[in-house]
Order: sequence, then C-alpha cells, then structure tokens
Amino acid sequence: MQNPGHKLSNTIHRERGWRRHQRASRLVCCAVKLCACETVTSESVKGVMALSALARALGSLSLSASSNVAQRVRPAPLLSQTVKQATELCRYSSLPCSRLLLTVRKTSFCFGTQLQPWRGILTSAALCQNSTRWKQRTKYTIRPIGKKKTGGRDHTGKIRTHGIGGGHKQRYRMVDFQRLHFEAGKESEFFEEKVIEVRYDPCRSADIALVAGGSRKRWIIATENMQVGDVIKTSRTIGRMAVSANEGDSYPLGALPIGSLFNNLEIYPGKGAQYVRAAGTCGVLLRKVNGTAIVQLPSKRQIQVLETCMATVGRVSNVDHNKRIIGKAGRNRWLGIRPSSGLWQRKGGWAGRKIKPIPPMKSYVNLPSAAAAAGTTS
Amino acid sequence: MPKVVLHGVRSTEPMLLAVQIGNAARSAFLNYSHRRCDVGGRRFFSVTCSLFGRGPPSRKEKKTLDIPGLERVTYADRMHFVPGLAKPIFPDWQRDWHDPHHYRGPNNEEMKLHKENPCYVFNQRTKILEGVRQALWLTKSKLIQGLPEHILSLADDPANQIEDQDERVQQAIRHSRFWDTTTIRPKRDRFCPVLLRDLLHLCGTLQVKHTSLSKRILAENYRVAALWNREKDVFQVRGLNGMLLNSMTSLPAVAQSGEVLATENHTLETFYPISPTIDLQCTYVYDQKNDTGFRDGYPYPHTHTLFFTETEDSAAKFKPEQLRAKMIMFAFGNALARAKSLHGEHPQVLEHPVVVQSIATDGRLFQFIVLQLNTTDLGPDTGVKNLVWMDQDQLLYDYAKCRPLIKKKIVTVPAGLSGYQPETFKKFLALHLHGAV
Repeated sequence: MQNPGHKLSNTIHRERGWRRHQRASRLVCCAVKLCACETVTSESVKGVMALSALARALGSLSLSASSNVAQRVRPAPLLSQTVKQATELCRYSSLPCSRLLLTVRKTSFCFGTQLQPWRGILTSAALCQNSTRWKQRTKYTIRPIGKKKTGGRDHTGKIRTHGIGGGHKQRYRMVDFQRLHFEAGKESEFFEEKVIEVRYDPCRSADIALVAGGSRKRWIIATENMQVGDVIKTSRTIGRMAVSANEGDSYPLGALPIGSLFNNLEIYPGKGAQYVRAAGTCGVLLRKVNGTAIVQLPSKRQIQVLETCMATVGRVSNVDHNKRIIGKAGRNRWLGIRPSSGLWQRKGGWAGRKIKPIPPMKSYVNLPSAAAAAGTTS
Repeated sequence: MPKVVLHGVRSTEPMLLAVQIGNAARSAFLNYSHRRCDVGGRRFFSVTCSLFGRGPPSRKEKKTLDIPGLERVTYADRMHFVPGLAKPIFPDWQRDWHDPHHYRGPNNEEMKLHKENPCYVFNQRTKILEGVRQALWLTKSKLIQGLPEHILSLADDPANQIEDQDERVQQAIRHSRFWDTTTIRPKRDRFCPVLLRDLLHLCGTLQVKHTSLSKRILAENYRVAALWNREKDVFQVRGLNGMLLNSMTSLPAVAQSGEVLATENHTLETFYPISPTIDLQCTYVYDQKNDTGFRDGYPYPHTHTLFFTETEDSAAKFKPEQLRAKMIMFAFGNALARAKSLHGEHPQVLEHPVVVQSIATDGRLFQFIVLQLNTTDLGPDTGVKNLVWMDQDQLLYDYAKCRPLIKKKIVTVPAGLSGYQPETFKKFLALHLHGAV
C-alpha cells in the first residue's frame, strides 16, 4: 500500500514558502491521524507508516530563504505533540524503529533549534531610495520627469564617485538626440519644425529648445542663435553639391560643405548624437573621403565617420558657459559638487601639465577596401 | 563577486547539534539562495550594511529570432536546464476566474468601437499650441475683432440699464473678493464663480422690464458631443465644458446673409510646419455621436451663453490664448450639435445660422466671444465660413487688494477695489440681453 504521504511530500519539495509549510503541516497532521487510524490491523505497521510519514513531513518543513518564515509563528506545541505521539507509538510497536525514531528525533532537534527566528525581524519597509524606476520610462514625453539624486553612490550603496551630493533639485527633460526622428508614419526626405521655446536645462550645460513639427513636440539641444519662432529643417538627402546650411538645420555630414561648424554629431548613423553636445562647442568638417567624412572634435581629435551620420549646423547654445565665475563655495554646492578631500596627498604621474601629440585618428567605419585604408592615413 | 555572510547555526549552539542536522534539513539549508539581489532590499540587524540594498540590475533578455521553418529545440521536455538547448517559451498563464483586482482590459484593436481612422478629440483640458489660429482652422471660421455693434448698443440704451449699475457691480466685486471668507482673502476658485453668479443675478434683475429674460435657465456639469470631418481627419469636441445658459428661443443671426456669403472669399490661415491636429487627443476607439447634452423635449433647447471660470487645479490653468481657443471650440461644439439635431447629419449651408455666445473670466479679466455657425459643410477648406467675433482681455477692475501694497513706505495701491472699468460690465450685460430685448 503506497504511503499517501510519500507522494505528497515529494510534491512539497517542489513548492516554496508558506504554501510548502502549509502542506507539510497538513501532512504531519495526516501522519498523526494515521496513527489513530483503526482500519490498519497491525500496530507495528501503523507505527512504521506513521513515523516514516512524519519524518518525511518534518523533512519537508525545511527552511527557505524567504523572510516570511521568521515572521510566521509555527504551531510549535502541535509539532512537539505530534512528535510525542509518534514516539509513543513507536515505543509500543515491536519493530526496530530506532532508526526512524532517530530520524524523527534529529529532525525534531533541528526543528527545535531552527524554529527560533534566526534572521532579523523586519521593522521597516523596504527602502526604495536607490531604485532607478524613474529612468525606465520608454514613452517619450516633453513633461519634465522627477529625478533621483545618487550622491555618487552605486547600486551597492558605496560611493563610487566622490564629490557628488546635494545641490538644487532637478527635473529631467527627455531630449531627443536623434535629430532625424520622423513622426510615426510620416517618413520623408526632409521635414521642418518650428522653435516654440528656448530654455535652461538643469541637467546639462547647453540650453534646450522645444520644437514642434507635424503633430508632435520634442526637446532638442539649442544652437547659438536659436530664437522663438525660427523654422529649422532636418534633411537626409546627400546631393552632389553641398547645401548652404543655416544654423540650426541638420544634415548628413556628406551634404555639408567642408569647413562648416557643426554640433550634435552622430558617429553611427541612426544612433543619435553622442558627441559635441556641451555648451559652446562645435566640430569642424575637415574632408570627405569616398563615403566617409573626417571631422575634428572640440578636443582637436580627428575621427572618421560615415557620411550618412547626422549633424546640426552651428555652435551649441550658452556660449559663455566656460567664462562663468563660480564666485563662492556655496554656488558649487548648489550645483551638487561636494568639496574634495582636504587631506594632502602626494601627486603622482597624473599631475602636472602634459604636452603630448594628438592621438591618431579614430575610425568608426569598417572599410574593407584598400582605397579606404589609403584614405585613413592622415 | 560580493561577499555574502551566510546565515546559519550560530557558534553558540553545541557542536553536536551541527553534526546531527538531518539530511532533510541540510538539503533545505543548502537550497537557501545566496544571491544578494534575492534578499529583497531589506534591512537585517544581524548583518553588515553592505548586504542592505538591491543587487545589480538584471540584464535584459536577449531577443530570440524566430525562423518559421526551423523550430528551436528546447529543454521543455526534459523538465530541467540543459546547456546548449534553447529556453522554452510557455504560454501565458490565464486565471480561470475573473479577478477584478488583476483585470487587464482589452487592447485598442479588440474594443467594439475601434475604427480604422483616428479621431482627434478636444476636451476640457486640451491646450492647443497655436491657440485661436488653430481653433479657427478647425472650426472653419473667420475672426472679427470686437463684438458686433448692434449687440453693444443694447447696453448703451438707458432703458436696458440696471439702477445704480456701477455701484451694484462694485458691490458684487467686493462681495466676491473681500467678504466671502473668514481668512484674509478668498482663493480664486472661490471668488471666480461667486463673482460670475453675482453678475448674472444683477443681469437677472432686469426681468422686471423684459419678461423674456426669465425664459432662461442655467445648467452645469453637462456633457456635449460634436463630430465633424475636416480635410480627411475626424474631429470631436467632447465632455464637460462650463456653465451653460439655455433659453427657450434661439438667438437671432448676427451677420446677415450678405456678410455670410462674403466669407467664401476668405482663406483660412495655416501654420506650417505645425499640423492642425497638434495637442489634440488622437484616439482610434471612439463613438461617433452628436449630442447637445440634453434630451429631446427639454423646455430650454437653445444654447445662449457658455461661461468658463478659472480653477485652482494646476492642470486646468489656461493662458489667455488657450482659453480663447477653448471657448471657440466649445461654443462651436454646442452650435454644431444643435444644428445637427435640427437639420440632420448631412453637411449643408444653414439657412438659419446658429449663434452661441461665450464668456470666460478669471475673476478680473473677461473674454467675450460670439460664434455664428453658418455651415456644417466643414470638409473642404473653401466655401462659406463660420464667423467669430472676439473681444479679448477686458479688465473689470485694476486691483482688488485685501491689504494695501506699500513700496518704500508709500502706499502705491490702496486696499479695496480700485480701477473699476464700467465698459466691461456693459458688454457682459449686452451679451446677456441679446436675444431677449
């Protein structure tokens, strides 16, 4: 006769948490009832079955990682009672059930010790200060989003970057760096947008502009002379002749004349602007070489990118940003910059003026042909 | 790998006990997860603070490519992970009973009212970017600055004036701005409707002379619905708008047929590169209905004036340009719903134009609009246009200060009402009397 408890305890092992505990305690009660069952003839058989069921049951009542275990008070008196009953039965049966009894005793012992809450008691709710849910929003909006300050701490809670903390509260405005971003279902060769508002952005040094085109509005990095009411154009065609670009318009690098100043440069087409976004910066288009363009970044480094990468013509807004004087320590604190360590530390090889040549040109283009390799040598 | 302090049997227990841990308990103990991120961000007093907090964010799952001919071999049959086989994707579990706390509504495509073409809805919280220009394009209207002469002349007639008119209006302003509170000053969402009701009460005192003024009723919290096509797009005006003054008789046409026909030559102003559908709520699930908000057989079926007041709700704060656009849209919505109920759905030029007035105030500034609906044929850009007369930013008074404004020990603005302008109330009264006198 298959022990009904056997199947049950096997299934219990697969379960977790409170449900497991429930089923296991039910199994224990079943085992006790089995002891009192009158249909089984032999006392010894009854006893053995009961004990094996009980041992399995007590084994199923294992400790899981969930902290709920500590909180839920098990009916300890009931268990000890069932253990007592089982041991009594065993005593009266003639079979050598000493091993079983030992198992029961073992499990009961470990139960006895591990029944006490051995993990801390929760006295507060889970802390969510370091949750990053505020930046998981996928849908674009022009509404400013509340931003959590990290204080230079990473996900472990330790400082990873010193000197960050405090400062004025900031709200994040989702800036669309992909200038060639068509509206849903309205792809075309070029489109125009009107500047509605140019305003300060606390999250960056440059100003941002709210532009509206078609049925949508978006934030973009404003260029130097962008005014309210300007109409800016974004085009993706590369003609044979270079375009006479107005400031604020955005074209692929292949369409711009050589020597033009640009900002918001994409290095991979379609990825969005990653370079030349800071206040007052601009890059220079140096030359165009069969399908690629070589540009100079504000750090004087030269890079080679595909000519289909978009760039906006002109300098970034807020040109006098580097000429500002902080004036007092308090203003730095308003910007969220904490004072550096006052401890005198011997400066190493990193300190001092460095005069070194510009690193070689970096190419973000995979060109297999030898002609391109000849073109990359600067 | 971050260090993890293992929870376990403490060294205070006797060693014998550690040895006697049963197999079952040990296996259970080893099943305890060692990952910090499973700790769940909770505080444990018996461990160091480095365990407190969440683990590193989980990596995003890689997208699997589904090739129709080739089926991925998964370890679903084996019932355990097998390196080299793909992760099986099981069907989503569905609860077999309806749980109202975990109910996901149907997608847009499964809704009964789903349509192929989108509809652009204007509701009471819509603030359209281009303001009045966009509202004029949407309603196919021509703008005329200033209210019509014959309406303004109604208030100049001494027979139509209230006795001690200016004094009583000033008392009404003082009541709403100063006396209606136990605190120093009442808030805007209190004094604005109080002022409006007081002014309407004043206008209503003329019922003694003109009995048709009594054949009117005020209605609040009613919902209007109007639908029209405009150059391949479907537009709707929906929802609560404001307080409505209904009357038993309709307003007479303001512009005569000559002026109406002359609007054919007028071209509507566009605002490239901005589309006229900007800021309108785009929805694919909508009900095509035209509804005045009142049932058939209502004794006051004709819309007379629509009143808008300012509220404290920050989402409902309107700039004057957006407020005027809202007034035009809702006046048009009410007029269109009424016209369609009278003359049917077929687009046509109306023989008897429908006139609706609208007044908006924030307690101090008043905006007046009179809209005449000449045509329901709004599809093409050409043809007869509707007419809108607008009088904007009319001050009723300059200052209503509870405490005097003192700059450098000199009282610049005294406490109390100052700078009262009687013209604004005359226009208010004129619009109220229009249709009854």
